[in-house]
Amino acid sequence: MSLPVIHGRVAFVFEEIDFDVDQIIGVKNIKLRDPAELASVAMQSYDPAFASQVRKGDVLVGAMNFGYGHPHYPPMIGMRHLGITAVFAESFSPGYWRGEVAMGFPQIACPGILKFVNRWDDIEVDWTAQQIINHTSGGRLDIEVWSESDRLMIEAGGVLGYLKHIQQEEST
Amino acid sequence: MAAHEGWGKHLNGQTHRAPSIGAYCFKGFILGSTIAEKILARASGQTRVNAGDNIKAKPDFVVAYDFPGYTDVIFKQMKDEFGLTGVKDPSRYALFIDHMVPAVTPQEEELHQNTRDWGAQAQVPVYERKGIGHQVASELGYATPGAFVVHFDGHISQLGTFGTLAMGVRRHLIESFVNEKIRMAVPATTRVDLVGQLQRGVMARDVFHHVVRVLGPASCRFQVLEFGGEAISEMSIDARQTLTCLAMFTGAVTAIINPDQVTLPYAKERARLSIEPLYSDHDATYAARHTIDISQLEPVVVIPPSPANTRNLMDHLGLSVQVGYLGSCASGRLEDLRAAAEVLRGRSVKPGFQLHVVPTSQEIMRQAAQEGLLTDLIAAGAFVSSPSCDYCFGRLGVMSAGQRAVSTGTLNVRGRMGSTDSEIFIVNAAAVAAAAIEGQIADPRPYLR
Repeated sequence: MSLPVIHGRVAFVFEEIDFDVDQIIGVKNIKLRDPAELASVAMQSYDPAFASQVRKGDVLVGAMNFGYGHPHYPPMIGMRHLGITAVFAESFSPGYWRGEVAMGFPQIACPGILKFVNRWDDIEVDWTAQQIINHTSGGRLDIEVWSESDRLMIEAGGVLGYLKHIQQEEST
Repeated sequence: MAAHEGWGKHLNGQTHRAPSIGAYCFKGFILGSTIAEKILARASGQTRVNAGDNIKAKPDFVVAYDFPGYTDVIFKQMKDEFGLTGVKDPSRYALFIDHMVPAVTPQEEELHQNTRDWGAQAQVPVYERKGIGHQVASELGYATPGAFVVHFDGHISQLGTFGTLAMGVRRHLIESFVNEKIRMAVPATTRVDLVGQLQRGVMARDVFHHVVRVLGPASCRFQVLEFGGEAISEMSIDARQTLTCLAMFTGAVTAIINPDQVTLPYAKERARLSIEPLYSDHDATYAARHTIDISQLEPVVVIPPSPANTRNLMDHLGLSVQVGYLGSCASGRLEDLRAAAEVLRGRSVKPGFQLHVVPTSQEIMRQAAQEGLLTDLIAAGAFVSSPSCDYCFGRLGVMSAGQRAVSTGTLNVRGRMGSTDSEIFIVNAAAVAAAAIEGQIADPRPYLR
């Protein structure tokens, strides 16, 4: 297993502290389940052209305590359908964090990210150095290290792959 | 080695440190442990663990309520992905049916029947129609002092009232169904000491939201919130359950209170395990310590659309409201019902106002009936329902666009109790009753005798 390649453009910067991710699709759409339908309603309140501009590999950036409130899974199901591969934030709310990491969706905390990137910057994670490289500005920024179980969960692509890896590891 | 040298990078708010003796030594003396560290040391079979250590812990109890996307998915994935139709030690597991009770669609009843069937063939107990599972779990002894408990839902933190470390781990819960142990990092602990005597008409609900106001909604991210102090010692079990239930809104992964003479008799009498209660050492290492004086606290209101929005109730008096909800796993216990009954006794709910009173469990409802509280509430015009989670998350008693509620439910986010264009103002139980009389946000204190 290995950590995923994360290299893409900053598709959007959520500057609101304690951001409630349900707002990405709007609470009225929270019971939708079809990824394509969720993608079609995503970001309508923030940037109606978002779906047409985003491409596979892009990432999102958030502020402090990203995911606070009562987070549901559909908003990020829609975002992944649009090609978003990771979320970076100044910090994360634990409930949101746990839910998305269990889905194998990289959530990367890096204090200072809001000042480090602008929308549409080209950024990449250097897993060896535990840093983000901003190819647009040329800078580097430290990321926080995951716990062992979180890292395994991301490497395995989610909780099921993680459990199978553990079983294999323990049987050998 | 200096005390700080073993400390590593901060990870998601956890203070991580290498599991070296330097991490908990100061000038050659070994520092004490928090109650959470002691519980996780026991659960992982070690003599000591420290915040930041990666461990494999065996939960004493694994609990869950049936809900689409959680239990049904866990049962299916266990079978399809791992060939499992049961668990190794069924007595460690408990399932609750408390949402969608009673069922209103065939699909809901099918979900419940699948849960009953899975429990029967796996020999895992399924409790239904006994109340909200987080409360019933304590009544049934799963809140054993010193035990480690996991659930997918974070409000299980309320078992911390009894010195139980109970964490909501969302979809990671499946690890506890497939394997005996769950891998995790030991969380750091923030200690909050509450001091001072509460004024009349001010309740635990106000205290919790005041803590959020003082410390901030991200103050305890990825940490355990440990409550203590003289004001906690004076609080009832009901009040402590309110405080610990809502820990997630400070960013904490759970909350805990060291057992004392208030909680031990209740918990030990019902405990399902024979283990010694554990306590934080006086020299335990905390990520932060805070002392909050609650003696001057007045009733608060948490305005929509975020649980971070604590305000003074007095600044919002007079705002018209059409719905009142008294219930939930956070509030709806005897202390709440007594406060509401005191306000409403001999008075009437304003015509057209919908006051929903939902005791948190059948045991509480029975006691409330014996005390005459339900009679008082019904006489005043309250609509009293049997225990269920459904009023809290907008499945029953829903609001239409433009309506406003005062609520003791867990949350005030948009659409939580119906239309996304309705609003929820969180207040204490007495304030819900006062608003029901006036049809507007009201100060409950003049109504208390």
